[in-house]
Amino acid sequence: MKIDKMSFEESIKKLEEIVKELEDENISLEESMEKFELGIKLSSNCLKKLNEAEGKIEELTRSEDGKLVTKELDLDKDS
Amino acid sequence: MKDSITLKSKIYTVSELNLEIRKSLEKDYSLIWVEGEVSNFYFHDKKHMYFDLKDERSKIKVVMFQSNNKNLVFDIEEGLHILINGYISVFEKRGEYQVIALDARPVGKGSLILAFEQLKEKLEKKGYFDKIYKKDIPILPAKIGVATSIGGAVIRDIIQVLKHRFENFHLIIRDVNVQGSTSSDEICEAIDDLCQYGVDVIILARGGGSLEDLWAFNTEKLAKKIFDCPIPLISAIGHETDYTISDFVSDIRAATPSVAGQLVILSKMEAVGKIKGLNKRMAHLIDSKIAILKKETNFIIRKRIFIKPETLLNRFNQPVSEFHDKLIGNMKEIIRMRQEKISTCRQLMDKKNIFKKIYMYKMTTRNIDARMISAVKNYLNLSKGKLRLILENLKEKNPVAVIDRGFAIIYKAEEDKSIRSINEVNIDQKIRIILRDGILNAKIFDKIYQKLELGSNNEN
Repeated sequence: MKIDKMSFEESIKKLEEIVKELEDENISLEESMEKFELGIKLSSNCLKKLNEAEGKIEELTRSEDGKLVTKELDLDKDS
Repeated sequence: MKDSITLKSKIYTVSELNLEIRKSLEKDYSLIWVEGEVSNFYFHDKKHMYFDLKDERSKIKVVMFQSNNKNLVFDIEEGLHILINGYISVFEKRGEYQVIALDARPVGKGSLILAFEQLKEKLEKKGYFDKIYKKDIPILPAKIGVATSIGGAVIRDIIQVLKHRFENFHLIIRDVNVQGSTSSDEICEAIDDLCQYGVDVIILARGGGSLEDLWAFNTEKLAKKIFDCPIPLISAIGHETDYTISDFVSDIRAATPSVAGQLVILSKMEAVGKIKGLNKRMAHLIDSKIAILKKETNFIIRKRIFIKPETLLNRFNQPVSEFHDKLIGNMKEIIRMRQEKISTCRQLMDKKNIFKKIYMYKMTTRNIDARMISAVKNYLNLSKGKLRLILENLKEKNPVAVIDRGFAIIYKAEEDKSIRSINEVNIDQKIRIILRDGILNAKIFDKIYQKLELGSNNEN
């Protein structure tokens, strides 16, 4: 699975697994370098996902023809 | 009794009498309250309820029609102690009187509490609250759905908490009445809409209130909707001490709506901290791995084997030479054994040569035979010649010839031995005298010694 296609949860879970695997003393240096590289990629993907989300508040309603629609909502103005 | 009938006495038909009784009872007991324990409960086609109400000594029939029982929040069930409001009527066909119940309420506790307890028990038995059905709440939902009242303070509390934790969250709000008769249905519909629109998590939120205020979240319909909802759902109803059925069915209960804000998304700061922590840990692990390997390598390089590799060879030399000796010894032994066998065979073969020997002996024997035969023949030939000579010689020395010449031969009578001396015979001994033409038997009658002088010719 390509890392940039992985969700935040999948990435951080995999990252935690890698750290656990690196803690195994029997792992070879070569293997640990590979895992380290993958771990770095996963952590940057996690950080990317954290900033990816769009910050907005919307209201879900049904239009006249019964379709679901969303509209931006400014609660401070309303209240 | 019979005697007291008069013309004035009214005689009823059965129907007339029952009708009169009905009118009378319905008039006198048009609005009554009666309490007792439910028994023989029968819910006919889930429409009309038939049961007895009883106390220690007596019981009365009760019927509660669908139009009246449909508004009951709790379930009437066997053994339940209830208070009924209604009137008395008579079922004329059978001449039976009964209470027509218009309303009922439990005795000892509120209807809603009872209803809540009854529903909770029922759903629990159905497995609606089982942990195995609980879904995990995502830690970073791209879209957070909330079903609540847009006009309330609750949504503002949630937004406040979210902003604090994660400024760039995406919230989809579905406005619903969180109180009132339509509330439960509206919330069910909101869940459907949010599912259809596609969110990663749903929050049901409402502020605190009485059991009655929160009742929309205690219906079986909403419980079923939440249970069947494919999207993880957080129930955030009322205060920390308020419990609703939706709290139990949901994937996770938030004690308050603010808590729901904390549960629904991770804190960005914490998340970044965690990722950085994991990075740091990885780097540290790699560093220490390299350090350990360095140390190990140094340790190995300093080992005797790398400094003086021949020591390793020496270690193997001895066993190899021992092995070598053993091998040679074994070979020698094998060779010795083989040799022994060979000589045994040879001896055996020599024994077998005996046939050859026998043959040889046979041949030799045959040779000897031939030689013997020829020798015997030779000897015989020789002997023949000799014999002839002897015979000729004999012929010459033949005593008969001597006899012919006038000599006689004397034998003892019993013997064939000739006598040469007079000492050989005694007086009176019989003798035989052989002459040329016969034998004289004679007897010695005298012996005279007289040495006869003879020439050498006589000796031949």
